[in-house]
Amino acid sequence: MGIPAAFRWLSTKYPKIISPVIEDQPIIMDDGTVIPVDTTKPNPNGEEFDNLYLDMNGIVHPCSHPEDRPAPKDEEEMMVEIFKYTDRVVNMVRPRKLLMIAVDGVAPRAKMNQQRSRRFRAARDAKEKEEDKQQLLKMLQKDKKSTMQVQPVEEVVQKAFDSNSITPGTPFMDILAASLRYWCSYKLNTDPAWAKMKVIISDATIPGEGEHKIMEFVRSQRNSQGHDPNTRHVIYGLDADLIMLGLATHEPHFRVLREDVFAQDSRPRLCKLCGQKGHDAANCRGEAKEKEGEFDEKDKAAPLKPFIWLHVNIFREYLAVELNVPGLPFTFDLERAIDDWVFMCFFVGNDFLPHLPALEIRENGIDTLVAIWKDNLPHMGGYLTKDGHVDLERAQLIMAGLAKQEDAIFRRRKETEDRREAGFKRRKLQQEKQQQRNGKGQQDSPSYRKSRGPPPETFAAASMNLISVSSIPKPAAHSITHDMVVNRQAVDQANVANKSAASVLKSQIQSLMAKPKEQAPAPAAEEPKEPTTEETQPKSPPSALGKRKAELITESDANSPAASSGVETPASGEEEATDTVRLWEEGYADRYYEQKFKVDPKDVEFRHKVARAYVEGLAWVLMYYFQGCPSWEWFYPYHYAPFAADFVDLGKMTINFDKGRISRPFEQLMSVLPAASRHAIPEVFHDLMTNEDSEIIDFYPEEFDIDLNGKKMAWQGIALLPFIEMPRLLKAMEPKQKLLSEEDRARNEPGKEVLIISDAHPVYEDITAKFYSKKPVGEKISLDTKLSEGLSGTVEKMEGYVPHGELRYPLERHTFPDVDFDRSLSVHYEFPTSSHIHKSQLLRGVKLSPPVLDRSDIEILKGKGRNAGRSFGGVPLNNNYNRNGGRGDRINYGPGGGNNRN
Amino acid sequence: RFFIDVNRLTAATTQAPVKRPREFACFSYDKNHNLRLDDSSLKWYYPPQAHELPANLSTGFDKFDKHDNSQDEHLDSLLTTIAHHEQQTGEAIDAKFVTWRGMMTKLMGAPYDEDGFEMNATIFQDCIFIEENWDFKATREAEQHGSWKGPISSQQMQFWGYKFETLATIPRPWGETSREEIENRDKEIVNNKEQYCSVVRSELGGKVLCLGGEVDAIWDYKPKTPGAKIDWVELKTSKVTQSNRDQFNFNRKLMKFWAQSFLLGVPRIIVGFRDKDGMLLNIEEYSTQKIDEQVRREHNSGNWAWRPWVCINFASEVLDCKLFSFRFN
Ligand SMILES: [Mg+2]
Repeated sequence: MGIPAAFRWLSTKYPKIISPVIEDQPIIMDDGTVIPVDTTKPNPNGEEFDNLYLDMNGIVHPCSHPEDRPAPKDEEEMMVEIFKYTDRVVNMVRPRKLLMIAVDGVAPRAKMNQQRSRRFRAARDAKEKEEDKQQLLKMLQKDKKSTMQVQPVEEVVQKAFDSNSITPGTPFMDILAASLRYWCSYKLNTDPAWAKMKVIISDATIPGEGEHKIMEFVRSQRNSQGHDPNTRHVIYGLDADLIMLGLATHEPHFRVLREDVFAQDSRPRLCKLCGQKGHDAANCRGEAKEKEGEFDEKDKAAPLKPFIWLHVNIFREYLAVELNVPGLPFTFDLERAIDDWVFMCFFVGNDFLPHLPALEIRENGIDTLVAIWKDNLPHMGGYLTKDGHVDLERAQLIMAGLAKQEDAIFRRRKETEDRREAGFKRRKLQQEKQQQRNGKGQQDSPSYRKSRGPPPETFAAASMNLISVSSIPKPAAHSITHDMVVNRQAVDQANVANKSAASVLKSQIQSLMAKPKEQAPAPAAEEPKEPTTEETQPKSPPSALGKRKAELITESDANSPAASSGVETPASGEEEATDTVRLWEEGYADRYYEQKFKVDPKDVEFRHKVARAYVEGLAWVLMYYFQGCPSWEWFYPYHYAPFAADFVDLGKMTINFDKGRISRPFEQLMSVLPAASRHAIPEVFHDLMTNEDSEIIDFYPEEFDIDLNGKKMAWQGIALLPFIEMPRLLKAMEPKQKLLSEEDRARNEPGKEVLIISDAHPVYEDITAKFYSKKPVGEKISLDTKLSEGLSGTVEKMEGYVPHGELRYPLERHTFPDVDFDRSLSVHYEFPTSSHIHKSQLLRGVKLSPPVLDRSDIEILKGKGRNAGRSFGGVPLNNNYNRNGGRGDRINYGPGGGNNRN
Repeated sequence: RFFIDVNRLTAATTQAPVKRPREFACFSYDKNHNLRLDDSSLKWYYPPQAHELPANLSTGFDKFDKHDNSQDEHLDSLLTTIAHHEQQTGEAIDAKFVTWRGMMTKLMGAPYDEDGFEMNATIFQDCIFIEENWDFKATREAEQHGSWKGPISSQQMQFWGYKFETLATIPRPWGETSREEIENRDKEIVNNKEQYCSVVRSELGGKVLCLGGEVDAIWDYKPKTPGAKIDWVELKTSKVTQSNRDQFNFNRKLMKFWAQSFLLGVPRIIVGFRDKDGMLLNIEEYSTQKIDEQVRREHNSGNWAWRPWVCINFASEVLDCKLFSFRFN
């Protein structure tokens, strides 16, 4: 459930799962010396942790385009940022036993489709942004040629790092891996808090998504002897579903660590064009950064963004209350119920399937499913899932329960939207009147007078443009943008935000330039002016609404005054893509299949086929979460989901997955990157992406449609990209493989996990004696869990490594030193393999933490739960009796259960 | 017969020195109670899960596959195992006493025991072999069964203990055991013929002992290093304590649990608490060492009916040759 709204929903419904992280800060002395935090001291959070897992892409991405600073200017600077951020996270947690760093490796095919869509969009947005910039620059030059010299754009507006390089197989990922290995060794040499810590690095050469490699590790450990059932785990990452993964391990002492997305950000916003402080995009002159102080290091005043914990143990308490069904014909097993709940969350959103049309996280889709599940559980004879396997017959009952109310859900959704729209229009009108008054008043305000601003009229127009973009009162937009800032999706869309700013600016300038020259504004960067709405609105950026606005500007006649009025117009009428499916009207399924799938509305068998593929997908995701990737090649072959009503006879289905072939890095790159990002792919393949005669040129469209599919925001829409046909791709790549350089070829090979420990660790002697003594016992040994403090697995001698040799800093500028006498040991590491599957059971000897929820928490939750998920009723569209279905009496969604049943 | 002066023992300020028991051999009885000189009957501890409680400990009593204990088995299997060990190593064991752990438990508990017992001892090549007087024990047990007036037969109550063992153990480590196997433990036929026995060397009051005794389960895994501490688990059932009298009785029982576990170096005692009808309600974990510590700490509070050093010192004195020579005369 990588969707941004999920986190907001969880934290609202289960408030106590979140608590702030208490973080010690380094002390800065008067003379400027810094006393670092001594992390060997007890954790200020009042509890110690054993293992910290870093889903590293959640660090690399934000470091590549930080919100509050200019982007790092080169890879070395970026690595240093990554070290800093990682150091902070490690210091927060102070893991006493293990640190695992997992970078995304090649992904299962099912995931690649999403990656492809994100990266194609990112490239398209980047291209538009670049065009905007160029145009802006031209205009600036024209405007100011008499008064100032404008520097070339490349020097001023820092070249944005192409985040598409954060994909396995790129040279960047090589540098990242080498840097991380160096840094961890360096820390083991220099930081006493690391002395007893084992470090595992799973870089991009090891297949699998970062968080799933972490899960596999946790499963492998809990299945092994020597594992402490009371190990305290912390996982850092940005995905909202890490907490689901935490639940899925059935390790109760599990926490998720992440930045606090709700924290009020008091730091100054940066210009979205040049990334500097002191002005916004509207006033950007594209000038080189002025140095503040001698070393340009005065940023330390900015407070660090706080972090929060998400407690799996408390979440388990909530679920124990919420999911409990009294009077079952079998005993209630919380562990199994949790698995069913996690499974149902997949229906509402996951990275591998489009969500079911009837289920929206914001409409409490999960509650709807929980209600259905609770009503059905007594009839199902058992749980929906078992250790990662779906019981299809039972799944059919859940789908049938959902189908009962599907029509009503769509109808209510429309009603709600219409009401909202009406309210919005009313507010907007009021607001416009208000703004007109304010606009006039502003002329006399002191802050206005202070700035050597543009003539009154023009300024008012310009500021109104900005206001209307960022302050569009879109219901739920606030929460979305909040979440998006820290969610990966948001990061991927940072370009969208930039684009919108640039476009808006462009249009402003264009409209200003249409006026007589002497009236043109002299952008005021000398004095920090009253922040515009854009600055004060925290985290407005990824408002795709803004993007769509911006597109509108670009499309309209930019030089006419209409451009600005276009900007003012909110998200209504004219830009609403007409929804021709009209889910709220009878016959919607026919229209849906006809328009989206282009099949005959009478072809019911096709619908069932789609539904079967979807169920296969659900089974795949469940396995992926609980047992590891069941098939590296499987994917859902449609852009759209079926309706609940299309699921029939699931009990007769059998689902088998074939492990399949794991893609090589270059195949993944060719599958997910657009031609514009081909710099990240070896040159020999470029031709395939760019040459019109390439046999696979159809995989790399520059233009593609985005179907809003009933949604409001462009980023919520579906990118209608053609699916990669693997055999064709492989065939086209085949003849080029032999042209690869030695270096590239190496980058295409799968790698191995690395274990790094200090010579102060008890297992150091054991391993070095076995590998490097005069009588080595071999190249590969099993770890002694007593000495390794619970870590199971095998280690293998690493080529080229000798104990106590030299540690070299892998980058150019030597921001960090070489170490002459390296006290860290590096070996290859393999997870313990077990032919036995993960079981969703607590381990023996586990000591559950004392309950945190009190009676009132439980009562509140129960109160919410009584009618949760039942508000849609169950009235089919074509059924006109009892229009109020569900509002009065409680509805039962169990088999045979109808309206008004208790 | 000799006189035990409990007051003298209680007042003692020193305890006879003890050395941690180390397993040097083991044997198994299979499901048919055939002897095997290996660890094939070793079990892993995995308790019934929260949702499986309460569990009826009487389920399957009618199908109980019960060991026929009407025959005196003497020290046979222990001696076979020791002999095998001596053959393997080519060295005789250095113990001065060889017996079942149960005999030592009785000796240790004797200062607080009201029932009494009889043992037979044999000296062979400077080593004393002690075993229970079978006839005495058989007669005593028959009397007890005969006088039992409770609503539930003493056989059934004995079964509860075996049932609990079945519910709380698995034949392979958890990671290698299927969910089905774990969830079907309640349906398994309870069998008390199958056993794993540990054979240890320990020292008590300077005397080297070789003890054999059944251990119920292992917590995690048996270390490969010989003589290393082993995470054994002792499984017990007891009635939930509701009154002071229950508590007093339970403390008494704890003494037996402690002595038993102490003798084989079992660090963990798991008690399944049941109600009077044999419904298993909850499970509690005790650390052998902490029972010992707690008793010492509460030495003067009077809450505890027994003192560990009394047990140890007494057993040590009994084993002293003087007492033995006195007895043999
Ligand atoms: Mg990830």
